[in-house]
Amino acid sequence: MDEGSDFDVPEASDRSEEAVPLFSVGEVEGFSAEDAAHYASDELEGLSDAPKSFGRLAWTRFRHHRLALLGGIGLVSIVLMFIVGPMLSDYTFDQYDVADRLLGPSRDHWFGTDEIGRDLFVRTAQGGLYSLRIGLIAAVVATIAGTLLGAVAAYFGGWTDGFISQLINLLLIVPALIVLSVFSLYFGGDANRLAMVLAFLLWTRIARVVRGVVLSIKEQEYIMAARASGASHARVIFRHVLPNVIGPVVVEVTLLLGTVIVLESTLSFLGLGVQPPNASLGTLVAEAKGSIDDDPLRVLTPGMFIVLIVLCVNFLGDGLRDALDPRSRNERN
Amino acid sequence: MGYATLLTLVRGMSGTEMSEPLLKVDDMSVSFKTDAGDVRAVSNVSFEISPGEVLAVVGESGSGKSVTALALMRLHPKNTETTGQVMFDGMNLLDLPEPQIRSIRGRDIAMIFQDPMTALNPVFSVGEQIVEAIRIHNDVSKADAWAKVVDLLQLVGVPEPKQRAAQYPHEYSGGMRQRAMIAMAICNDPKLLIADEPTTALDVTVQAQVMEVLHDVQEATGSAMMLITHDLGLVAGSADRVQVMYASRLMERGSTDEIFYESRNPYTRALLASIPDLESVKDKLDSIPGNPPSLLNPPSGCAFRPRCSMSVPQCAEAVPELVAFGGNHASRCHLATEIDITTGVNA
Repeated sequence: MDEGSDFDVPEASDRSEEAVPLFSVGEVEGFSAEDAAHYASDELEGLSDAPKSFGRLAWTRFRHHRLALLGGIGLVSIVLMFIVGPMLSDYTFDQYDVADRLLGPSRDHWFGTDEIGRDLFVRTAQGGLYSLRIGLIAAVVATIAGTLLGAVAAYFGGWTDGFISQLINLLLIVPALIVLSVFSLYFGGDANRLAMVLAFLLWTRIARVVRGVVLSIKEQEYIMAARASGASHARVIFRHVLPNVIGPVVVEVTLLLGTVIVLESTLSFLGLGVQPPNASLGTLVAEAKGSIDDDPLRVLTPGMFIVLIVLCVNFLGDGLRDALDPRSRNERN
Repeated sequence: MGYATLLTLVRGMSGTEMSEPLLKVDDMSVSFKTDAGDVRAVSNVSFEISPGEVLAVVGESGSGKSVTALALMRLHPKNTETTGQVMFDGMNLLDLPEPQIRSIRGRDIAMIFQDPMTALNPVFSVGEQIVEAIRIHNDVSKADAWAKVVDLLQLVGVPEPKQRAAQYPHEYSGGMRQRAMIAMAICNDPKLLIADEPTTALDVTVQAQVMEVLHDVQEATGSAMMLITHDLGLVAGSADRVQVMYASRLMERGSTDEIFYESRNPYTRALLASIPDLESVKDKLDSIPGNPPSLLNPPSGCAFRPRCSMSVPQCAEAVPELVAFGGNHASRCHLATEIDITTGVNA
């Protein structure tokens, strides 16, 4: 066999390497392992261009995810509006004028006024930021706690897993509203503490998801390979396990953020959350509930913002999950 | 092939421990505690590996080969009990404290896994993973480690190593990944490489290439290698010595020639007979009748007895002892001395 001359070498793609010849068993006499090494390397996809950094790739994938881009733009515009809007207005969120009560939308009061004549646009903006802040803090704290506890439980197993799993089950059967209403007697007024109580109740959702994912990841051979190369348990968890959990966690967090905003709104609606004169989207709905027949817009406006924020966050999460997974390619154009 | 020159530069001569074995496993047993009872996966296995030597461990699935390797590195699951002694560099690996065994893993003893598809972490580039393996044991900058990674990838025959290092595992083919795994295993110049079925998951054409790389790298670094496999073809080409395991026990050990041409064990001979022969045309491949026994409830006496064509009543009564035949050759069979080694295994 004379070194490849009569092989049908495909011209496409490869630049530097010879292609692997197709040969039948009968022809292999004299085909030593050394020859095999020369014909080196399995499939040869030529490298079309220099590899991009992970960040660049993730951004490219994210950009091509239309809904996610829409969600991101939507969320940024809403937040900008909440921050910039009140600056352009002549009113503040707690400034009232009983003479101007229950006005409809006008050039002066964009969203109208409430029962004691406060400007509803400014109150919606302030309430929206308040809701977002509580949602964000609660989601971040719940995510960190849930991810760590879930990962530790699944990775170590045994009694560690037993203890954490039972704790999760215990918290899952506790009715959230009742705990919240008890706690909020003490914490109700303060956004940060309210967020902590919400986080305390909601980390279990993240923990359950993470535990499930880690249970399957820890059986993967690359975990054993990492241990065999001398990595400690902490290193294996942080470097090899958790990065693989990001996808499912991001999705769960966006759902969680939605839940937190809705739950906070519910609490505030019941009068247990944010206390006047502060507002949140939930209290705005609650305050306007009496006038739903005469003037439905006053209920629908803050309600619509709740829905919009939650939707945007969910779209965003969907795109982030795809973007952060190195295995997903940007097939979409 | 340029591998050798590159790597001999990296490795200083260790010289002193000429005849001392690098690894000495003495009477090691491993058992798993399960709900159904204790499973003895490795029973009283003893062996040695000298520096630079290639020892092949051969056996069917479940014979205890992989468990032996994992137990050496103390990587077996929690519900296991390991007894015996594993001496490496004057230390008993089985009772070293965790931080010390960790500093040995990956630096002195490195492992290559069976399935390259899952042995690389999908969310990091191949280069990053090898950099990490280097930096666990060496205080070097990321840039220096990265430069070494590119050299290593070149060494194991990954084309365009600079670009390839920045790619993710899913952008590599199976053979490439196994090359990357080899690069990762040798990145700290280990004294002992454990290759656990390194080519089982690969295409036949790629198997030869990967074995070639492994062989070159092992020769160039002068590290010893424990090659775990069920493929006797691999053994013939690359091992200095062979040990055959069956149902948790060592069945026979000896030099590669002794195992292939002078085997004194019916199990080894049956294994050899089941290698397909290109010259003769057959409708059906030769195989050993029956299945390996359950380790939960092993048969009395010799574990191979139910499948053995030579068994005599004595085989059911006692587990045979290892019978030594000069040099390193030994066989665990009551009839070891009576086997006619002049007849070919295919007879």
